Amino acid sequence: MTESVTTTCGYCGVGCRLEAHRREDDGIASISPALDGPANLGHTCLKGRFAHRFARHRERLTTPLIRDERGGPARAASWEEAIERIAAELGRVRAAHGPDAIAGLASSRATNEDCYAMARMMRAAIGTNNIDNCSRVCHSPTSFALRKALGLSGATGSFSDFDHTGATLLIGANPTEGHPVVGARIKQATLRGMRLVTIDPRRIELADYGVLHLAPRAGTNAAVVLGIAHVLARDGFVDHAFVAARTDGWAAFAELLPAYAPAAVEAISGVPAADLERAAHVYGEASEACIAWGLGVTEHKHGSEVVQLICDVALMTGKIGRPGSALLPLRGQNNVQGSSDMGALPDTYTAYRSVADEAVASSFEDAWGVPLSRTKGYTIPQMFDAAVAGELKAMYVFGEDVAQTDPNTAHVVHALESLDFLVCQDIFETETTKYADVILPASSFLEKSGTFTNAERRVQLVAPAIDPPGEARTDFEIIKAVSRALGHELPWATPADAMDEIAALTPDWAGISHARLGRRGLQWPVAPDGSDAPILYERAFAREGGRAHFAALPYKAPGDAADDEFPLILVTGRRLQHYNAGTMTRRTGNVELVDADVLEIHPDDAARLWISDGDRISVRSRVGRIELPAQVTDRIEPGHVFTTFHFPETRTNLLVGASADVNTSCPEYKVVAVDVRPIGEQPARVPALA
Amino acid sequence: MSAPALTVTVDGASVEVPAGATVLDAARAAGRWVPTLCFDARQAPFGACRACLVGVEGAAAPLPACTTPCRDGMAIDTEDAAGRRVAHAVVELVLSELPRAPAPHTELAQVARRLGVGEPRWPGETHAPAPPDVRHPYLAFQHELCISCGRCVRACDELQGTFALTATGRGFGANVAAGLDAGFRDSACVACGACADTCPTDAITEVSLLP
Repeated sequence: MTESVTTTCGYCGVGCRLEAHRREDDGIASISPALDGPANLGHTCLKGRFAHRFARHRERLTTPLIRDERGGPARAASWEEAIERIAAELGRVRAAHGPDAIAGLASSRATNEDCYAMARMMRAAIGTNNIDNCSRVCHSPTSFALRKALGLSGATGSFSDFDHTGATLLIGANPTEGHPVVGARIKQATLRGMRLVTIDPRRIELADYGVLHLAPRAGTNAAVVLGIAHVLARDGFVDHAFVAARTDGWAAFAELLPAYAPAAVEAISGVPAADLERAAHVYGEASEACIAWGLGVTEHKHGSEVVQLICDVALMTGKIGRPGSALLPLRGQNNVQGSSDMGALPDTYTAYRSVADEAVASSFEDAWGVPLSRTKGYTIPQMFDAAVAGELKAMYVFGEDVAQTDPNTAHVVHALESLDFLVCQDIFETETTKYADVILPASSFLEKSGTFTNAERRVQLVAPAIDPPGEARTDFEIIKAVSRALGHELPWATPADAMDEIAALTPDWAGISHARLGRRGLQWPVAPDGSDAPILYERAFAREGGRAHFAALPYKAPGDAADDEFPLILVTGRRLQHYNAGTMTRRTGNVELVDADVLEIHPDDAARLWISDGDRISVRSRVGRIELPAQVTDRIEPGHVFTTFHFPETRTNLLVGASADVNTSCPEYKVVAVDVRPIGEQPARVPALA
Repeated sequence: MSAPALTVTVDGASVEVPAGATVLDAARAAGRWVPTLCFDARQAPFGACRACLVGVEGAAAPLPACTTPCRDGMAIDTEDAAGRRVAHAVVELVLSELPRAPAPHTELAQVARRLGVGEPRWPGETHAPAPPDVRHPYLAFQHELCISCGRCVRACDELQGTFALTATGRGFGANVAAGLDAGFRDSACVACGACADTCPTDAITEVSLLP
């Protein structure tokens, strides 16, 4: 070991600070936790600590690749040729079909500076607002709802709130696997006496540490949250002074509540009425309480509405804006917060300011020296629809494996095949790069500098511990080179320069600079003097008039439902050992711990279907079919099955249809009706007699 | 909100610490070194190893710095002769139980160097030499280097909350085990690495860092 570098983990949204120790002969020797990391407090999980060997894996892309014909073999090419080809093809598409025939995806795995550069390239060099990022398919409903209810798109507090709160409602999240370091923190809090209520169709590990576990039917979160609000209102937990002084819309919300008596909610969700009452009391009786949630809330047809209802619960009880009383969305990827903050979205510039806002748009026009479109661009699902319809001709996909992770895989592949031209910028070949005309070899988080923003809105420095392999370049350099070839110079020598531009153009980021971030980062909004905001809304909300808004939204049924043909509900998620598409973790020792996706099924359902533990089974939905081994476990509720999407051999997302959140088009990954049976057994033409 | 600070003297220098601070906290705040083996700031003080004995004015004997709370006006001598003599003996005894010296970068080796502990004066029985247990892809046991400080067990309990590790055996057989000595892989271990991170001897380390 020669040198050590302090950086920020590139896996999940917790934002652990890490010490990366470089080996003398190149590569990472080991990684240890930074003792002063504010989010991890000297801890890490097996992904951040051990799963780093992908960075020097022999399958890393080390040179640009070009396909001379679509679907043909890829050949190695020089950077000059690759970038010339991109500029020529994108130029041709723009000339023939206009700038809106081109779309780009920034990456929630990449830095703020990379995402800002990508957004600026699409807007200024291409001339379109067709820019989106993968937060579309995870926490876009959270972002939408928090902005609508409270004003800002971010957690209202910090992970440290778990350390001094009396109670937490944890809804649709499995932190000990998805966000292990926060999971450990919540677990420690419960061991010290924090009262935890878990709400999930799976009996997650933390359920064993809580005072109560509710297992609603998938897709009925809204009813459960409304039921909790009903009991809080009925039993005198409303903070009327807070509601009167700091909110509006209470009357309409209160009118909704009589319909959600516990018995009525039990009928919808299957959660026993008595448990619902207890859950409300656990939250209401604590003087300080938090609500945390994950993709089990958002990835639904009405996910954005459920997040608004969660805000309602915090607002009616006044449990917000104080230490220990916070709303804490557990953001999925390392920079899912930042990629959206940076305006890598089809409708907003940095800090969620509308592309249609004249003052904002002209401030960017002045800075960038080009006219900018005022028209909202395509979201990711709209991009695929437009590609299939022939309206979108070219895409530039940076750091996302859409052909594995996005829903309705067959449709995504059809879209990619329909394009005239596809650029992928990634660290490995993926399912998506199979359809690319040009593949650019990029850099992992261990090889670049910049910043990530964690789930606490904390902007933290990322520093290179090793160099990109071969001819691979940093994403920042690549995007600069492509933008220059397209005729728009991105005028920054380093990511720190890009951050200075972001700060100059974004009031909430005004006080941020790389120099100022130091070892502990800063939580936006950051004032020009550098003071940051661990707690939001202590005095006022960030909406007009400073008041939060109650949303009066009734429960609505999910987009899919079990029926005779598809009698079980599939829920998808992650495991501790792997990360999303597994591009990185499948290329580390983690595969020795877990080497396949499995389908969790309840013993009752398994017995009825003649399925034994370890059997290879077929899972069929309305749109696709996959095969994988069964794991019989009572962690999952009867009537539900669960699997992950880490292995391309499985391609779980072939099963997920087009149903999506009504406000943000975040896919409904969490409710898919399926038919499960042993391999080789044909579906009966006539339903079996009951 | 916060309780009033206390003022203590460490080796003659006055230092202010928050209420609830330990003597070790005060010594570190004053920039003074106190040898420790079983201490990790991420864990509750344990007070098992007795390497951190310091002199406290008015106390009948040296006190363990890691578990002794500060009192206002306390005078602390980090280089108390009796305390240091004990620390030296503790470290020497610990080293005498090992069949080989710990690697130079380990905390135990560093503490021994700084205290001037050389080759232990007591040859004889040691932990049984054993090849490393590398059944897990990342985490390795070198049981022969375990000094039973309990840091790994407490890291698993207090930092991670998985409770996969446990102290086992007695005398020269005293050691640490994952689960019912099943190895990391077949225990409840979630491979967070907190045990390897805190281990002061590399009795638990990374497979790729084994000598």
